[in-house]
Amino acid sequence: MQEFVNLTLGGVITGSVYAAFALALVLIWRSTRIVNFAQGAMAALTTFIAIALIDAGQSYWVGLVVALLSGLVIGAVVERVVIRPVEGGPELNAVIVTLGLFIAIQALISVLFGVNQRAFVPPFSNIGFRIGDTTLGSLSPNTVYTLIAVLLVMVALIALFRFTRLGLAMRASAFGQEVARLLGVRVGRMLTLGWALAAVVGSLAGMLIAAETAFVAPTFMDSLIVFGFVAAVLGGLDSPIGAVVGGLVLGVALSYVRGYLGDTLVGLAALVILVVVLLVRPGGLFSTTQTRRA
Amino acid sequence: MAAATVATTLAACGGGDSGGGGGGGGSEENEASDIGITEDTIKLGAHYPLTGVAAPGYSEIPTGVEAYFDYVNANGGVNGRQIEFVYRDDAYNPTNTSQIVNQLVLEDEVFAIMSGLGTPTHNAVTDFLNSENVPDLFVSSGSRLWDDVEEKPYTFGWQPDYEIEGKIIGQYVAENFPDAKVGLFLQGDDFGEDGAAGARQYLEDQIVAEETYVPGNTDVVPQISALQAAGADLVLGFNVPSYTALSQLTALRLGYQPQWFYSNVGSDPALVGSLLARFSEGAVSDASLLDGVLTTEYIPGLDAPDNPWVQLWQQVWEESGQEGELTNYRIYGMSQAYTMVQALQSAGQNPTRDDLVAAVEQAGSEWEGPGFTPFRYSEDRHAGYSGMLVSRLQGEGSEDLTPILVTDNGDAEIEELDGEPASPPENGIPEEEPIN
Repeated sequence: MQEFVNLTLGGVITGSVYAAFALALVLIWRSTRIVNFAQGAMAALTTFIAIALIDAGQSYWVGLVVALLSGLVIGAVVERVVIRPVEGGPELNAVIVTLGLFIAIQALISVLFGVNQRAFVPPFSNIGFRIGDTTLGSLSPNTVYTLIAVLLVMVALIALFRFTRLGLAMRASAFGQEVARLLGVRVGRMLTLGWALAAVVGSLAGMLIAAETAFVAPTFMDSLIVFGFVAAVLGGLDSPIGAVVGGLVLGVALSYVRGYLGDTLVGLAALVILVVVLLVRPGGLFSTTQTRRA
Repeated sequence: MAAATVATTLAACGGGDSGGGGGGGGSEENEASDIGITEDTIKLGAHYPLTGVAAPGYSEIPTGVEAYFDYVNANGGVNGRQIEFVYRDDAYNPTNTSQIVNQLVLEDEVFAIMSGLGTPTHNAVTDFLNSENVPDLFVSSGSRLWDDVEEKPYTFGWQPDYEIEGKIIGQYVAENFPDAKVGLFLQGDDFGEDGAAGARQYLEDQIVAEETYVPGNTDVVPQISALQAAGADLVLGFNVPSYTALSQLTALRLGYQPQWFYSNVGSDPALVGSLLARFSEGAVSDASLLDGVLTTEYIPGLDAPDNPWVQLWQQVWEESGQEGELTNYRIYGMSQAYTMVQALQSAGQNPTRDDLVAAVEQAGSEWEGPGFTPFRYSEDRHAGYSGMLVSRLQGEGSEDLTPILVTDNGDAEIEELDGEPASPPENGIPEEEPIN
């Protein structure tokens, strides 16, 4: 029973981490209709910037703020300098460019910060809460912080897209640039803003993931990128709630697979879940309408 | 792909025809006897993960190899030849390994490959090396794949394989913790499988749980929870160092306190300690997390600073003038380089590639070096060191719990080593007689 509880809670936590990452993907998808494969590497870069500050004696919170700000800047710069030239062409071009970016940024991290693993001390204790004699290893002050942070971001994104003119303008730019432009939307700015905001969410995900995994190397986001993508696609790529639910479902399911079946089956299990969900609901769990294409 | 190509600097002096470093120097002249050998140089190649997930720790091995070759070169080289050591980065990706080993053999034209690191990586190139008749010496992995004279006559292991390590660990636990419920924490490849197979020979009845992880997955809460749920109070880990750190932290999170026993690969106190240090400063725990952990050793390391070999390595490292401290990974590289020099000396003054292989087969089991035990090399076997001892980590150092134990694969008995480990020669360079 204790194992089941630990596996479930552990799944919720890893799931929320997948969700954080999936949220960044959803954001960029909603605002630019591009799937950004460089998201993980960008998040790793900002996390390493934070680690450099923390190692220099700054607090976690200073590191976090700097990571988010550098994410904002990196996201905007990447969109303006690297993505803008290929925007408007075939969608595949931009996607391939993000793949190249992924490799380049990862190499840059190794050059700047070395290849060695670094310890990342979480902001709150990682030791599980105790109930009687049982330790809930997966539920600790830090995991509560992670969960709350992910939920806040989800709510903020829903609010942004549903209730603000800015969110509406961003969605409009993503769906139909020409039409949006005719209606007075500064499309270029919206796209830059979309990338910048997504990079901020990605940076936050990187910081949360680093605190959960404890040891980070320049490649630390690699294994999570895959699961983050699966989570986002499960949720329909278009829905913040979908991303979070997709992340949690995936996290809990994979935790059971790990605990009861074996670690080697995790990749396979993720694929099976993805295929089954897409067969039953091709648009993802939370698609409300047919996918619209501009 | 960043390919680091580094040739050891040729020593400015001391080379020439002094024929330093042992037998063979005499009447004959040096000739370019095979690919990779000239009158005054001999070129060796290697592949390591210098970037990527496996780079931490392992990327230091070539610096150790290089430091020792520099030392030998400065003292006249082998039979008057300077050793050139070329190594490249495969990022622990077998596809890259194939590519760079091709490059080493066909473009750099090395005489032999040595110290190639990793089971999946090196396994991708043994067919090629054997079909090209390139000696493939002292693979940096304890897999049993390298001991296959029929299929891979040019490939040789070096460190004790994971199965005999598992046997020695298994017997120690069975004798000293007869009532323990044993859990296995295994890397999900033949490192974990071989180790578990060895341990099961002695612990079959005591094992209550077996959990594996896939390298790259950073969440081991499910595995450690399962070990805890099964009631395991002694956990054997056949895992790499970062997973030692991760399993320790995860156990702390879960309030799980078994006796830990990590195999040699995963127990490097310096690397694991540096990862865990940040946590023990903070809220997590004040004690050194690795104190009291059991492990095995087969070459002297930094935990024994008074050992004459470690003092030699310290001297070699300081003379090499490379950046950084001496680490156990560098000592590992130097120990391999020492064996390589023995092999080159045994192969004679003007060796061919086949002479080098014959030298290891015929003389290898007699070589005395840093290893606690003899090698198992013969014409029928290409297996490395034959044993190790069990020790307990304590602060910076460790305490030996058993004498040196020697065994072999399968149901060979585990016995105490007959005799004493060797001391290094005065000048720090072996002097082996050529086999012919």
